[in-house]
Amino acid sequence: MSHFRSKILDLGGFINPRVVRDHTKRKVFEQFEPERQALRYVIHNTSLPQRVRAQAQLQLASMHAYTRSTQIKNRCVAGGVPRSVIRAFRLGRYQFRQQALAGELPGVKKASW
Amino acid sequence: MAAPYSRLLDLVKVQCRIFSLNFNPERARLGNKILRQRLRGPALAAWYPRKTVSFRDLQDTYSRQGLTMFDEAEDDREEAIQIAKLRGKGRPKKKRTAAESRSAKKKK
Repeated sequence: MSHFRSKILDLGGFINPRVVRDHTKRKVFEQFEPERQALRYVIHNTSLPQRVRAQAQLQLASMHAYTRSTQIKNRCVAGGVPRSVIRAFRLGRYQFRQQALAGELPGVKKASW
Repeated sequence: MAAPYSRLLDLVKVQCRIFSLNFNPERARLGNKILRQRLRGPALAAWYPRKTVSFRDLQDTYSRQGLTMFDEAEDDREEAIQIAKLRGKGRPKKKRTAAESRSAKKKK
């Protein structure tokens, strides 16, 4: 959501609206993670009164969608593509191939057998 | 010979105190597994490369102290404006009042 987005763009590299949105979600998740974990602890703790736990459940469910980690999607750093992103290089498959063939990724070599 | 249960319990209690673990012989669900989890936020937020210092940042910081740098694009732009003005293709004068803008419309 727009009120979470930073007023000044703090991203280098490839930027498109979807990358900015995902980056915003990541930062919001980082900010609210302790709060979410605290609520999860209260919910999972069976020694607490049922009423407190139910309230914690409601509070966790009413938190903004951007504070949820499931909203985060790994995108290609060089092209913003959301599919088949190689996690170790943070690149989509085509960007990975191009950069690897150009020798920009240390230790990556084309194999043939 | 097996040790009595109460003795084992004491042992576990001391063990928990030393290693700062939660002593929970009834195996109640206390949600401690959530407290044990590490925070994933910093790692997730570092996915995209952040902005580093750019040439424009340098210009901005030093222009306050009166130091200017040669900016070729800006120079080109100003030159183009001068040429356009000479050809009579510059931007029209800003209309400051409502009366001025109305008279400009009527001329058409």
